[in-house]
Amino acid sequence: MDNRTNLLIQTILLGLFSAIFYFLLYYFNEPILELSTQGGWYFIIPVSIAFLFSFIHGAFTHYFWNVLGIKTKFIQK
Amino acid sequence: MNIKLAPINSILFILALFLTSNFSQADTTTLSAEISHTNQLIFTPLHPNVNTKEKLRLEILGTTGKLTWVATHGKIVGSGSKITYIAPEQSHEEIITVTDETGNKASLIFKINSFPKLQLKQVLFLLFIGFIAGLVSGFIGSSGAFILTPAMIAMGIPPIIAVASNICHKFPRASIGVLKRAKSGAIDIKLSFIMGGSAAIGIWYGIKLQTQIKDTFGNLGSGLYVAIIFVTVLVIVGIYYIYAAIKAYNQHDNDIQTEKTSKIANWLQSINIPGTMVYLPSLGNRISVLFIIPLGLITGLLTASIAVGSFFGTPAMIYILGVPILMATATELLIAFIMGLVGTIQYAINGFVDIRLAMIILAGSLFGIQLGIISATYAKNYLSKAVISSLMLLILINQGFKIPVYLSDLGKISPLSESVISVLNQISFISLILALVVGLVVILYAFVQAYRYLITDNQTEIIPAEEEEEYYPTSITQLSPTKRFEKILLVSDRSKFSLGAEKEAIKLVQKIEGHLYAMSVVVTNAEHESLVRQIFEKENKDAHTHLEKLKIKAEDAGINCDINVCHGVKIYHEIIEEAERKKVDLVVMGRRGYTGLKRVMIGSNTAKVIGHSYCNVLVVPESVQIQNKKILVAIDGSRYGDIAANATIKIARHLNAPILLVCVLQHTEELREGQHIEAVKLIKRTESFMNQEGNFSIETKILSGNPAQSILEIAEVKQVNLIIVGSHGRTGLDKVIMGSVSDYIISYAKCAVLVAKT
Repeated sequence: MDNRTNLLIQTILLGLFSAIFYFLLYYFNEPILELSTQGGWYFIIPVSIAFLFSFIHGAFTHYFWNVLGIKTKFIQK
Repeated sequence: MNIKLAPINSILFILALFLTSNFSQADTTTLSAEISHTNQLIFTPLHPNVNTKEKLRLEILGTTGKLTWVATHGKIVGSGSKITYIAPEQSHEEIITVTDETGNKASLIFKINSFPKLQLKQVLFLLFIGFIAGLVSGFIGSSGAFILTPAMIAMGIPPIIAVASNICHKFPRASIGVLKRAKSGAIDIKLSFIMGGSAAIGIWYGIKLQTQIKDTFGNLGSGLYVAIIFVTVLVIVGIYYIYAAIKAYNQHDNDIQTEKTSKIANWLQSINIPGTMVYLPSLGNRISVLFIIPLGLITGLLTASIAVGSFFGTPAMIYILGVPILMATATELLIAFIMGLVGTIQYAINGFVDIRLAMIILAGSLFGIQLGIISATYAKNYLSKAVISSLMLLILINQGFKIPVYLSDLGKISPLSESVISVLNQISFISLILALVVGLVVILYAFVQAYRYLITDNQTEIIPAEEEEEYYPTSITQLSPTKRFEKILLVSDRSKFSLGAEKEAIKLVQKIEGHLYAMSVVVTNAEHESLVRQIFEKENKDAHTHLEKLKIKAEDAGINCDINVCHGVKIYHEIIEEAERKKVDLVVMGRRGYTGLKRVMIGSNTAKVIGHSYCNVLVVPESVQIQNKKILVAIDGSRYGDIAANATIKIARHLNAPILLVCVLQHTEELREGQHIEAVKLIKRTESFMNQEGNFSIETKILSGNPAQSILEIAEVKQVNLIIVGSHGRTGLDKVIMGSVSDYIISYAKCAVLVAKT
């Protein structure tokens, strides 16, 4: 498979995952908030969600800009 | 033009959204406190702002004798003039009534807040401010949280929830950087744990203080505390940035700062306090932990209070302890991660993290970071410092003008008139909007400028495809992967593992009189680049320097060499793209030496390049030389074996080396006569084919057993310099499950391996 196509597919998949997770968060926002703000050991919920979203959405946005050709280039100013 | 207009339109749209959405405290936290006074009975606080399940310390003045407290929904704990009120789990209108012995009665009516309900306009605004915070983070190479917390508070989000959610949204991204930096040894682990440990204590105390302030004075007290800390920090850091911007403008200082240990750091390192001294690799010296702990405590306290600790932590490590800039920024990553994790856990234990808000901000922020980084790459150094000092000044005004309002509401100063409060609130609000607009417009303008460079750069990189001659293959060239060994791409990772590949690539190009392309990849990741920009700049500079040296070596050897530093998410993608762009015939790479489970789990870039590329790949382990000793070629009767045999002919010609032709039979126990005969036929056929193409010294061997192990064993016994194998081209899961002979050989061979692909 072409390298660029491969990158595009990975970007779309990550975007899809990210969108699904955000939709779930929006759809179940009230029960999630209720659970995550109960205090005590329930702290695991917001911490896990933060890690999960950060990795998935972080990877997606990075691929997204790269596919558009907007990637970091360092120059000696 | 469209690019320029787009951000302005967006600003106007979002501003209109913001201004019409009325993000006042009343809208989202539903504060409506009323009070009735009878005979001068006065409640403190006058305007409680209480969330569900929250505790509030309430006091009443002017009563006589024993008091009776009654709450319609919550609980009253304690007795006398000072009690603790515990709010119920649901949002209600609460009426607290207190009656004294003389029959005097007072009622405090207020609404209990719950976490704000998510509405589309709020989601959009959070995305917008998250995006700007990301832009700022990327642009200034530090946390953009200093703009985020005030914006969230302005939306009506209780200050403690704004700070808690802010800390929660950004800490996981530091972990990616930590893992990467820890491997390269840029992080001073010992310093991180001393600073991080003390910062965790600072956070613990900071959150306790925040919670107590909120319990005692409600959200108003909490807001006042945040505002005071913001003003103090921004005045100090803002003055420093203005000074740095002027200095950079005057000196045209665009390079990475030259490092000089400060006087205070030298002095602290010279003080010996027995029993407290610790050796820090980053300093190359001993220093007392008593000087490190307070810095950690302050960093933690600031993080817990306003979600911005890096403003203090990194400069403190550089100027007070004398840690080199690059190590300080890398070490700050681990400290930030420890603080973020501890802070989030502690705030979550107390139920203050609104994960929805945190994740919406994250969504916007991650999009903004990369644009911010690119903008900063091309912006002048003084411009980025000027932007950050302007933003700080505006946030300073935003928070500073709120302080008298908070003090008045809390009854700590004589009450301000409604008109004065309105003016102060408007100034505060306008300064926040200005900060958001300045951040957005300036950084996006810088991005548009940068984008032009990006396009130009990309255009220069594209080499137009050469017009290929009409090519009529002969028997050998039809299959020969080495028909055009003219362009060779050398991939260097700047480590000792690439040394062998570098030497051999130059020697090979010399022999074939071809052209050498040398490349190196700097992995980019916007999420943590925004936190440790200096490290990435140094990596890039190192890569350029390394390739320049390599080019000089190649030119000394009399060959043409072009160099290129590529940037991307995945190393192997960049290598394959470069190979395709330059239309190379062979990629020469080093081998990192990952073996066994580790390699299966993490994969190696070499294996991935072999799996995905269309051209041949030569893998040269560290300090291996391809001399004119012996070339081993493994054949199995498949077309991949034929490809390997054809490659061998060309290589053997160049190297003038003898050939060892090997065929391995797998079934040792049930070795059938037929199989052996087949193998002999195959060997004979290939040998005769090779002899037709040139006068080679060929030795043949038929082995039995595990193909990969047998090939490696014979290679060692016969002192082979180069193994040539065909690749079945399996990639991904298929390769992990099934394994392949070539894969095993590449991983464990002590000599160079050429994987013939075409």
